[in-house]
Amino acid sequence: MGFGQFLAAPELKLTIVTYRDIFQNSALEVSRFDEKYEELSAIIKLDPNDISKLVIKDGETVTVKSGAEKVVVKAQISGYEEKHEGVAYMVNSPWSNALISDNTHGTGVPSFKNFEVVVQSAKGEKVTGIKEIF
Amino acid sequence: MTDNYYVCPGCALLCDDIEVETEDNKITKMYTACMKGVARMKGCSSPLECTVEQEAADVDASIEKAAAILKDAKNPLIFGHGNSSSEAQKVAIEIAKRTGAYIDDTSSFCQGPIIEAILQEKLKTCTLDDVRDKADVTVFWGADPANSHPRHLSRYSYFPRGKERQRGWEEDRTLITVDIRKSDTSEIAGNSGFFQIPIKGDAEFMNALVDGLSSKVPKTSFNFDKKKILELSNTLKKAKFGVIGVGLGLLYSLEELEPLFALMDKLNSVSNFHIIPMVGQYNMRGFNHNLFEETGYINRVKFDIESGQAKHGAEYSVVEALKERSVDAALVIGSDPLSSLPLPVARYLADIPLIDIDPCQNLTATKANVTIPCALGGVESGGTAVRMDGVEIELKQIVETDKLSDKEVLTRIMEAL
Amino acid sequence: MASVMEIYQLLPKTNCKECGKTTCMAFAVDLLARKFSADDCPPLVNEEKYKENYDKLSGMFTPVAGVSETGLIVHTEKCTGCGNCVVACPVDVAADPQGAGSGRAPTTDKVIFKVVDGVVTANNVQECRRFGENIILCVACIDTCPTKAIEFV
Ligand code: SF4
Ligand code: SF4
Ligand code: SF4
Ligand code: SF4
Repeated sequence: MGFGQFLAAPELKLTIVTYRDIFQNSALEVSRFDEKYEELSAIIKLDPNDISKLVIKDGETVTVKSGAEKVVVKAQISGYEEKHEGVAYMVNSPWSNALISDNTHGTGVPSFKNFEVVVQSAKGEKVTGIKEIF
Repeated sequence: MTDNYYVCPGCALLCDDIEVETEDNKITKMYTACMKGVARMKGCSSPLECTVEQEAADVDASIEKAAAILKDAKNPLIFGHGNSSSEAQKVAIEIAKRTGAYIDDTSSFCQGPIIEAILQEKLKTCTLDDVRDKADVTVFWGADPANSHPRHLSRYSYFPRGKERQRGWEEDRTLITVDIRKSDTSEIAGNSGFFQIPIKGDAEFMNALVDGLSSKVPKTSFNFDKKKILELSNTLKKAKFGVIGVGLGLLYSLEELEPLFALMDKLNSVSNFHIIPMVGQYNMRGFNHNLFEETGYINRVKFDIESGQAKHGAEYSVVEALKERSVDAALVIGSDPLSSLPLPVARYLADIPLIDIDPCQNLTATKANVTIPCALGGVESGGTAVRMDGVEIELKQIVETDKLSDKEVLTRIMEAL
Repeated sequence: MASVMEIYQLLPKTNCKECGKTTCMAFAVDLLARKFSADDCPPLVNEEKYKENYDKLSGMFTPVAGVSETGLIVHTEKCTGCGNCVVACPVDVAADPQGAGSGRAPTTDKVIFKVVDGVVTANNVQECRRFGENIILCVACIDTCPTKAIEFV
């Protein structure tokens, strides 16, 4: 608590929905250790209003936290026609999987498709590298 | 002409009309395959090295080490299989039996329940060739084939002329997407064909459709336009040959399959509908078939080392087995669980003795005690695979390699056991 | 884009027929349709007094990278090689009903679209229905593309 807390960048609770992207998937086939795969994977697509709430700009990095895990990824304006405040999109990748809880209620099926996270500006920080996720 | 066609292992559509040019045992040019297929077939830029404890090793030494790890383990896990030929999968099942292992594949947390229901004849299905020749209404539910199965629409479900679909897609076919976001496939379906539902709204929307099909007022807690639901019900009712492509979006949202069964029952009492699972990896369905033949279960199996009996249940799924730390070594083939599993589970996998067999360098390999490169299935080695609709397809070898095929690697491990 | 009249105004207007057309107007129409280029009018190229007009006309028709005569552009960086345009194009269906028209690999070179190395290539564009004698406003390849990779300019 105290002063630091006061100055800290605002946090936003969001629901993540994961999706597939053929360009990212094709980059994976070439090599998951290439920059291109990171560039197309380590992103979170946000509603413009959520971008404003986070006080960040398109293309800046954010920390995405879920339970004990966190990754730093690039924030992008989604560009979707419909508003989707409160919901953000991440392509299916090690970065999104890092945030998925192993809480399955014994079903053997984790919640891959949508889950809750807390997002905060990570101004100046670099995107988490694929080998640093672990 | 057809002799020159090869099969693409890029996804479970297994397109069998691919022409290639080769030079020095590399594919240099490809015709008709989509971008994803080209990326797969031209091969990765960082092939997997043969290593033991992260040091370069020869194949013999790594196979021996792999066998030793499996022998030492009480409860090993054999996981992957979606990118293996059916022949390799059968050997993997033998290894699991011999070592009293858990055996599971990605269907355990994706299309498994649907494939199980199809194999148990609880859901009506059809082949993709039927879809091309007959389907007049295709629904993609929680699926975005434009990104996951790029040629689905052009090869089978929307654009092609088929025997009973000679007049082209504008007149002869209707494309519908149900999704929580406007996907690229939804763009093609257009505003009249796209039904946007809220997250986790799938079951309710299915029930509403059943009501619509029963001439009841279709109510949803999210107030979906009733008129639009009734219009959709009407389109589905009038279909001569309907297909629902079930994607992960739908599967992850349903807590149980009941609403889908109810919808299919209703649809088939007023119309004629079929299910096709939108399987990702090129031979995931083959694994389900092969294990089913052997044990009566499609996945999530643990063999008893004494009796060879197969036990089945959620507790034998890859995720639960790792989470409960019941596994003490793992062999991974043609899969990268370290990048596809939830991190807490993946971390545990990284900590136990780990064997990785794959054509390409991946995250799992970076933590593996043994890595063994294998030939790229469908390019450097042939074999059989099962398409998403259950049809068996023969993959031909295209170029020569000195790498062992996935089947050969597993056979040699089996021999060393 | 300029109109036929504007183009006509820049031509020699002598109807000399050297281009193979009977009138400069006819040449202007074909120039607009990109069947001809300014270089196909000899007087325009050779005579000093037309230099300025020649430069203007050439400038108007500098080929945008990748533009074919019909103005069809494939933005290859957006193309996923899905083949929707290949199968949907009415010219392809007519030329190859059992191959391209049925969703399979094209079996003839008469088709407009083929997918090579995962991206679409356009040939025989002169056959495009938006072009030539019986123009119709076909949009089959534009509407079916999931990534809007095809455009006409
Ligand atoms: S759709 Fe799938 S099988 Fe067909 S070419 Fe593309 S990746 Fe290969
Ligand atoms: S060559 Fe040039 S000047 Fe002569 S008719 Fe053709 S367009 Fe006109
Ligand atoms: S506009 Fe029509 S005819 Fe011309 S290339 Fe496109 S689909 Fe073919
Ligand atoms: S429809 Fe679009 S993405 Fe598909 S092959 Fe044609 S241009 Fe490429």
